[in-house]
Amino acid sequence: MFAYIGRRVAILLVILFGSSFLLYNLAAISGDPLEGLRGSTDPKAKAQIAALVRTLHLNVPPPARYFMWLKGIGGIFTGHFTLGTTRDGNPVSTYLNSAIPTTIRLITMATVVAIIMGIAVGIISALRQYSRFDYAMTFVAFLMYSLPIFWVAVLLKEYLAINFNNFLANGKISPAWIISAAIISGFFWAALISGNRKKVQIIFAIAAFSTAVFLSLLSLTKWFTHPGLGPLMMFVLGMGFAFAVTYTSTGFNNKAALRSAQAMPIIGLIFYFPVEYIFSKHPGVTPIALMFLLTIIVAVSTALFFAKIDRGPVIRTSVITSVLVGILFLIDKLMKTWVPYINTDAIHFRPIPTISQSNSLLPAGNFWFTFLDTVTHLVLPTVALTLISFAGYVRYSRGTLLEVLNQDYIRTARAKGLTERTVIMRHAFRNTLIPLTTIIVVDFASIIGGAIITEHVFGWQGMGTLFNTAINNYDLNLLMGVFFVTSSLAVLANLAADLLYSALDPRIRVVGKK
Amino acid sequence: MNARLKTRSFVAAVSAVSVALIGFVAVPAHAAARTTAIIIESNTFTSLNIGNPADNIVINGDVSYLTSMGFYHYDNNLKIVPNTVLGTYKNTVNKAGDFEVKYTIAPGRVWSDGAPITGADLLLAHVTASTKFAKAAGLPDPTDSSVTPAFDSGAYGGVYDQHVVGEPTLSADKMSVTVKYDTAIPDWVLNGIGGPFPVHTLEMLAAGKTTLGTAAENAAATAKFVSDFTSKNKDAFVAMGKVWTTGYEATTIDSSTNPLLLVNNGAYLVKSVDTNQITLTANPTYNSGPALSGITTMVIKQGIGDGSPSAQAIANGDADVYQGQPTADAVAQLKAIKTATVVTSSSLAYEHIELRVASNDSTPYTGPFAMSAGQKSADLRKAFLLAYPRQDIVSKLIQPINPNAIVLGSTWALPGNPNYDHASSQVGSSVYSAGTQASRSAAALALVKKWYPKAGKGNTPVAINLLWGSPGNTRRASEAALIIASEAAAGFKVTAPATKGWGGKLTSSAYDAHFFIFDQTANPQDAQSCGTFQTNQGSNYTGYSNAVVDAACVKLQSATLPASTVEREQVIAETQIVKDAFFLGIFQNPDVTAYNSALSGVIPAPLSPSLVWNFWTWHFTA
Repeated sequence: MFAYIGRRVAILLVILFGSSFLLYNLAAISGDPLEGLRGSTDPKAKAQIAALVRTLHLNVPPPARYFMWLKGIGGIFTGHFTLGTTRDGNPVSTYLNSAIPTTIRLITMATVVAIIMGIAVGIISALRQYSRFDYAMTFVAFLMYSLPIFWVAVLLKEYLAINFNNFLANGKISPAWIISAAIISGFFWAALISGNRKKVQIIFAIAAFSTAVFLSLLSLTKWFTHPGLGPLMMFVLGMGFAFAVTYTSTGFNNKAALRSAQAMPIIGLIFYFPVEYIFSKHPGVTPIALMFLLTIIVAVSTALFFAKIDRGPVIRTSVITSVLVGILFLIDKLMKTWVPYINTDAIHFRPIPTISQSNSLLPAGNFWFTFLDTVTHLVLPTVALTLISFAGYVRYSRGTLLEVLNQDYIRTARAKGLTERTVIMRHAFRNTLIPLTTIIVVDFASIIGGAIITEHVFGWQGMGTLFNTAINNYDLNLLMGVFFVTSSLAVLANLAADLLYSALDPRIRVVGKK
Repeated sequence: MNARLKTRSFVAAVSAVSVALIGFVAVPAHAAARTTAIIIESNTFTSLNIGNPADNIVINGDVSYLTSMGFYHYDNNLKIVPNTVLGTYKNTVNKAGDFEVKYTIAPGRVWSDGAPITGADLLLAHVTASTKFAKAAGLPDPTDSSVTPAFDSGAYGGVYDQHVVGEPTLSADKMSVTVKYDTAIPDWVLNGIGGPFPVHTLEMLAAGKTTLGTAAENAAATAKFVSDFTSKNKDAFVAMGKVWTTGYEATTIDSSTNPLLLVNNGAYLVKSVDTNQITLTANPTYNSGPALSGITTMVIKQGIGDGSPSAQAIANGDADVYQGQPTADAVAQLKAIKTATVVTSSSLAYEHIELRVASNDSTPYTGPFAMSAGQKSADLRKAFLLAYPRQDIVSKLIQPINPNAIVLGSTWALPGNPNYDHASSQVGSSVYSAGTQASRSAAALALVKKWYPKAGKGNTPVAINLLWGSPGNTRRASEAALIIASEAAAGFKVTAPATKGWGGKLTSSAYDAHFFIFDQTANPQDAQSCGTFQTNQGSNYTGYSNAVVDAACVKLQSATLPASTVEREQVIAETQIVKDAFFLGIFQNPDVTAYNSALSGVIPAPLSPSLVWNFWTWHFTA
């Protein structure tokens, strides 16, 4: 095992060295860092050229210059690690330090949402193979997959930002929108639930009608300009979560799990006003984290109270439910912040921005404003990235689950008389996750590489933007800095994926020698 | 979950919503006129000090312009407007071998930390521009490109450096500084001291201070600077040079930033810089320039791409002002925004075609345009320029962006310059715009036929290597396609592939012609053109050398001349250039400015800082 890791790491170092040498030289000969200055008629341009040649060592041939750069990396052993300076004289590490968190913030959320939704939709469409839903999702997945992100971004900005903000000026949903949303919702639920013709028609009618009523109510009550859940709504949603989580986690037959999960929204309802008080009086990350911790403790205790035997699944069910209820609390608080937030001079009734990752004009020190500001800035890029990356997960999880369902052990499980839920969730789903895990690990490594186009379109200064700037300005050190971080992570993630695979799948083992 | 359950929870949700949410109707209150203007820029902030050549980029320049006030600024008609609120400058002595300019700070002007602005604050300009001073103080020689100067400034080697005599002298009341030159230098305003620099903060930063000083400490630091300056204290200048060169580099600024770095005399002060935006707030002690008209906070959103990201940001109200060089599509997108006003203008940057007439590097140039080939090459050059589709380029590629764009008749006096009409009628460039392109191409073919009688359609005996830019530059790629087609009709076979690293090949004899952009940063007597046409100058990439042009340049660069003489000399030089048929301007780079129609006062100017040059007049009308 250790010999295997050692050998892999050694190979990785060679790969990193070779690829960085190649990239450095290719990048160095591909452009002229002085290009912009050569077209300047300013008499000072000459001095500027001389200064750049001196600071960037442009008079040294690229292969030799590469080793000057490598010497800075090698400084890691002597405590003089440096990635050099950019052409504007700032250290490359300064840029990386601010770009990495930005990129992580931008892409983590989108990736997590894409993974959860992608796997969920993929599994449902695998279970309903060749159904209307399956065909519909396959179509949607390929459609999303083929959409160029810059175009998706332009559309999202037009409809979810510009038009939505215009809409907020009065908060009334036009009948045309309500009707189209009702029809889309009808089709969606009818396709999802499926069945014979009559059942489909009934589902369509119910879904379309409820959506229309629901949206009309939102419109009439001006919910969008004054959003909020309120204790009652949160209780109802919490109960919905309790049923859903219990169904997928243990099944309704486990009464202890169902009761324990149902207890969560009830406890939530009791603590609605105390939590609200803490949110308002002691805003901040620490109180929220403590409350989540407390929630989990309560959830575990409740589970222990209800379950006498086989406690694991019950604890799991109530913890998941309690966390979801906790998130409802956060959403409720953010919705309450909405009205004062859009009333600030900085927002001025146009809360969804098309660019940037924060608004510096908001009154400083208001935790909930900052929180909501981060969320509103994240909405569009997250939706855009989720839309295009979720398709891949749908296709992959669908395919994997179908393959697993054909395995002998699934037949055995069914033959044993296990319920369909147990077969799917315990035997099939878990095995589906093995190959998915390895994909996800590599995906997370590539997150750091940033999303060049997305960041550009939404004006985020992440790794993708740095990479783009480096190329456009012929800023070799900056380019190599981005490359150093992303390539190191990429090779490490591949190693981690291999190790994880062997850890998850007992049939695969890593060995030290061939 | 089964269907029934789903339906039930849905119905439950609907009823819950109707019970839980009974909202009140709220109408957005109409606030008073806004006091915050938000600008979008495509590059990102790197430094508070633009004297450093590496930091000389648009966004740093704009921040500097908004936060510091100098003795003058350029207006939108290329005229220098003195800032008499800060102080005055005047030429006091003008005789052979002695030319003196006296700068006086008006009494009562203060820095943002309350320290008074005095003549001592003007002395640093000499330190960062005079090679003689650096050498005398024992600092590294700024003209030696292998060592980093103590103050890594882009001003060394300029007109000031060449002609300044001794050190500027501080008057007894310490409010005036007199600079002495060995001759009546041209553009003595532009080439002299631009404005004050808070030297007391520089001294304190060099001493490692991290908090603002008291009035006494500030006065002591200013006094120390004057004594360091007079005694040429090497150690002090090494320490200050380090701060000046690297200390002002900053990609983020917040409350933990050393406040001494932010002391300035402009209308705004930098409050914070993060990865997204630069926030500038009104300077409470500001009295160095015209008063603000209503914008008390200026925000610059940085790193926002040209085109649809900027247009949609304006449409969504995320920003109020945008200036850039977008495509025709993006202009259409901007014009479609109901709440925005779009203005297209021309910057002092112009695309041009130049032909190689002699060698610039060690390889001799023997191509078709070589001047050494006499009349034949003269005819071929003229033919090439005649067949050059300038009008086509302007109408197909530029007018969709700027409908007022014209084919350039003069590059020494660009459109917008009051002399433009006169110059373009005098220098002889009308030959290249008379008639239609078809008639010009026919004239070109006739010239080529003198030397290649069989030239014509399908027979292109003169091979031309044309250099233009990297593959990503779509506008130039379109230009190249137009050129190849048009020149073929006159017997030229133009090879013009996109070239990575083309900038480094401008001096190569392998290319017979180049077209690219020349970017002008000021409008001095020589129109920044002598560098392009004078023998062996910095941006002379054609190998051109002509005694008439050189003589005119010497005149334009050696003394302050009356406006009529300047114009006459410029016309003399450009007439010669047009006669030698190796250089023609094509179009001025179009700038597009879009701003919130409620914001009043935004008028783009051709020279940097072209967007914010009159920021003090900006205000919201609604």
